[in-house]
Amino acid sequence: MTNVVIAGYARSPFHFATKGDLARVRPDDLAAQVVRALIERTRVRPEDIEDLILGCAFPEGEQGLNVGRLVGLLADLPLTVAGMTVNRFCGSSMQSVHIAAGQIQLGAGEVFVCAGVESMSRVPMSGFNPLLNPVLVEKSAYISMGDTAENVARKWQITRAQQEAFAVRSHARASAAQAAGKLAGEIVPIKVNGKTVDSDGCIRPDTTADVLAGLKPAFDKDGTVTAGTSSPLTDGAAAVLVCSEAYAERTGLTPLARVKSVAVGGCSPEIMGIGPVVATKKVLARSGVAMEAIDVVELNEAFASQALACAHDLRIRDETLNIDGGAIALGHPLGATGARITGKAASLLHREGGRYALATQCIGGGQGIATLLERV
Amino acid sequence: MPAIRKVGVIGAGTMGAGIAAQVANAGVPVVLLDIVPEGAANRSALAEGAVARLLKTEPAAFMHKRAAKLVETGNIEDDLHKLSDCDWIVEAVLEKPEVKQALYRKLEGVRRPGTAVSSNTSTIPLRMLTAGMSEAFRRDFLITHFFNPPRYMRLLEIVAGPETDPAIVDAVARFADLAMGKSVVRCADSPGFIANRLGIYWIQRATVEAFDLGMTVEEADAIIGRPMGFPKTGVFGLIDLVGLDIGPQVNASMRRALPKDDAFHAIDREIPLIARLIAEGYTGRKGKGGFYRMKKHGPHRSKEAIDLATGEYRPEHKADLPEVKAAGRDLRALLTAPGRVGAYAFRVLASTLAYAASLLPQAADSVVAVDEAMRLGYNWKEGPFELIDRLGTAWLVERLHAAGMTVPKFLEESVGKTFYRVESGRLQYLGLDGAYHDVVRPVGVLLLEDIKRAGKPVLKNASAALWDIGDGVACFEFTSKSNSLDDQIIGLLVETIATVKQRFKALVIYNEGENFSLGANIGLALFAANIAAWSEIEKSVAAGQQALKAMKYAPFPVVAAPSGMALGGGCEIVLHADAVQAHAESYIGLVECGVGLIPGWGGNGEMLARWRADKKLPRGPVPAAAKVFETVSTATVSKSAHEAMDYKFLRETDGVTMNRTRLLADAKARALRMVEGYVPPTPPEYVLPGIAGRVGFNGAARGFFRRGLATAHDLTVADALAEVVTGGPADIIDVVSEQQLLDLERAAFMRLVRTAPTLARIEHTLETGKPLRN
Repeated sequence: MTNVVIAGYARSPFHFATKGDLARVRPDDLAAQVVRALIERTRVRPEDIEDLILGCAFPEGEQGLNVGRLVGLLADLPLTVAGMTVNRFCGSSMQSVHIAAGQIQLGAGEVFVCAGVESMSRVPMSGFNPLLNPVLVEKSAYISMGDTAENVARKWQITRAQQEAFAVRSHARASAAQAAGKLAGEIVPIKVNGKTVDSDGCIRPDTTADVLAGLKPAFDKDGTVTAGTSSPLTDGAAAVLVCSEAYAERTGLTPLARVKSVAVGGCSPEIMGIGPVVATKKVLARSGVAMEAIDVVELNEAFASQALACAHDLRIRDETLNIDGGAIALGHPLGATGARITGKAASLLHREGGRYALATQCIGGGQGIATLLERV
Repeated sequence: MPAIRKVGVIGAGTMGAGIAAQVANAGVPVVLLDIVPEGAANRSALAEGAVARLLKTEPAAFMHKRAAKLVETGNIEDDLHKLSDCDWIVEAVLEKPEVKQALYRKLEGVRRPGTAVSSNTSTIPLRMLTAGMSEAFRRDFLITHFFNPPRYMRLLEIVAGPETDPAIVDAVARFADLAMGKSVVRCADSPGFIANRLGIYWIQRATVEAFDLGMTVEEADAIIGRPMGFPKTGVFGLIDLVGLDIGPQVNASMRRALPKDDAFHAIDREIPLIARLIAEGYTGRKGKGGFYRMKKHGPHRSKEAIDLATGEYRPEHKADLPEVKAAGRDLRALLTAPGRVGAYAFRVLASTLAYAASLLPQAADSVVAVDEAMRLGYNWKEGPFELIDRLGTAWLVERLHAAGMTVPKFLEESVGKTFYRVESGRLQYLGLDGAYHDVVRPVGVLLLEDIKRAGKPVLKNASAALWDIGDGVACFEFTSKSNSLDDQIIGLLVETIATVKQRFKALVIYNEGENFSLGANIGLALFAANIAAWSEIEKSVAAGQQALKAMKYAPFPVVAAPSGMALGGGCEIVLHADAVQAHAESYIGLVECGVGLIPGWGGNGEMLARWRADKKLPRGPVPAAAKVFETVSTATVSKSAHEAMDYKFLRETDGVTMNRTRLLADAKARALRMVEGYVPPTPPEYVLPGIAGRVGFNGAARGFFRRGLATAHDLTVADALAEVVTGGPADIIDVVSEQQLLDLERAAFMRLVRTAPTLARIEHTLETGKPLRN
């Protein structure tokens, strides 16, 4: 088995959709700036890249056609580099990493750029022309994400106060990391109309339990989930460099972590938030690593309720979880999140020491995806 | 005198800011300045804060949020130079002559010679404001007295000084009339001008008599209110609205300024209860309440009213006065009703009407001016002289004498005559010279009431009429109650189309009611439903669909000219016209979902066609349907003609008239411009998402339900609407015709009208005027 490593990670700042600083940036341009920066920072030889695999949850409009190929052209990658677009909804860019790992193992290339992008400002969630299948309506295939968060909150009995404490935690960690300069290294400043956007726009350091307690329920008048305990609609892009360990050594790249095991799995669409449990159990079983041995966990915070439910069922230790904050504070640009949390898990493993890192996230429609990383 | 293209307003208080907003509503750039607040970091905070506040006020000051962009803010120290290219400067600062004059002196240094300068003062005489100022200033200076709120109150009182250049007055009056939509009444430089001069007397009289006769506040407001054609706030409700603290200030000002022999002095006395209420913070609606207040008991609120005798609050007792009911519309009967009710009605109204007569010629030069001022400044349905005509001059004067009340000379001399009459189809008024004069409308003003007075309708039935308004244009008028649309109107409309084809060039749809139309007569629908006459209902729906389409495709231009509310079927008529000339204060929407129905006369298809034609929407079958679903399911009503264009109730190319009196002339002109080369429209074709879109819209509606924003029956109604706007069984590769959409609409309407919750909604709305959220 060829060893596969993550040898670079970069992302754009993440900003609120519609009102934030990236609302007027085309998603293909946004992703191209991040890909370009990743290549410059890692000093990888562009002509060695086999493929640019770009994840996007609503690949239409400005992120339509084969946007993965178009981003390669925009980033001035050599014409010999191929490009594809992947859709596994929120898990798209983590799926990109999995595809690259598989291709490398297959001997079908040594170096891949695995990226993700979503402009939730410029392409609405559910797309421009949602044409639903009535049969699937009955199967809850299209159930709104907020409703799934309420379902999980009820089934796992996660109170509003618990969700709010978790949201406070996310903002506190993210703002501390931002203040300590711990996020600057992964961020690629983005040029927008002659100005430069270089820091995250969704983090709210003054978030307190009291502030959150004053919000109205967002999805169910008798429910517990509010806008404050949900990840916001976000614009952003992220990218990781995935290559064989041999290639990294040969060319002097710095591997952050080795990809040890990957998994996907399905669950009921009505409680899609519990998806990480399915996928993580598989990834732990495949690798023979126990949860107690995981030193760093990046669990996407689509909603506080589902993050808490997963943390509970998987017995994730609090001190390992989302060390620099999570999506509630940072934002969740759907197609980009997978690459962010995989790259972040790898870089945290590199920064904090420790042996194993887990990156996992839930996926709308009822799925989970997970990646287990190992220190090199 | 060149046109006014830029205006400056100094003083960003309620009036100044509101005046600036109305200038912006006219599409004219305006500079708004105020003083620099002491120690402020932001030197223009007052003007900026005023604009921010205006954007949040309800009812809105701006007709469209983008009008705010026309307001440039600043302060009078750093930005006075910005007034140098203004054609008119309005001063709306503190009511202190020395403050105003200091400002005028500052203006002399920056304004262009010949720039009009006016004051919004309500209490300071013009001669005092111009005293000691230069000749050039006095030539350019006038008073322009706006009413609150400046967007909605149509009256503008103008006082010209003895040296004011008539060209300046004309330019300002013309701008206020055409651009700001105001009706200008020229007044003498006398205290309170016209409207407040009479209004202050009226309020004071009504207050004092209420105490003296032992009336309750509810009784007083019930008598000196609707029965007399006054707003339902009556007297004490009005005082609460204006602010209790205003009264003493204004009375003191009148006390000082009025001639010694003025009848106001006899009723001018301090009311200790009012002084006490003000001291305790009960300054009216802007404070904790006034004569009325809302009292919180835990989660509930109830209304309380002051007992005038004890000075304490007690629960509101709605006045139920048999004398008022018995009198009905007979004003004489009300004023001669037995007991306190009749005495109060007589003493207040008779004395007020007499006072009005005493204002000629000292404050106003004609009865027309006084009536216009009270109708437009105080929202009286009829002005004082129109009211005297209802009572009869002889009748009133006899009773005034009997009661020992003063009868002014002009009123005495007019005994036996009416203040208004119709002579050879022309409205005339009685002048101070004792002779009758034609009421002459300004150039560009055409009133249907004048047409009606002068001739007979071309067609007529119980609910509608067709009038010849000259130059080959006919006018279709609704005459039913609330201008509600019924089978009679639809029938006459069909006849009208045939008649216009033969004898006219164009058609205008217009009336002079408060509202264009509140929609189809759902009372009739309810009646038919209660006797299960479903086929009758369906026939009415089909007839309306056919009539409106016949109107749309008629071989002549049709211009709808709405003012006020155009709801439901009224909106559908507007949608089917070739073009619209709308009063700026038009409130348009498809509100059928509120009563558990959907638009049934083709409104859905017309809205879909407009949104489908919008190049800014993404392509594909869903976006236009989604917009229409959103707008109609929420029964959205636009709050101005400009806002109506955002929802496509009006086209970008439709016209907006600011001054209500000019609407018909503008609509007629628009219709005539369309005659040459007129071609009827072609029927649209639709590509719609079918069931795939419908389930999506229903999903969105269910989300609203879970959030507590929609009820169970709303979901049923939303599904019916979703079915129609997605084309029913349409496939995305099919083309849906206009008729297919009409058939879907009619079928969905009939399904809904049969449901009990819809019938309950209709009944409730008819009874209470409010929606039922079942």
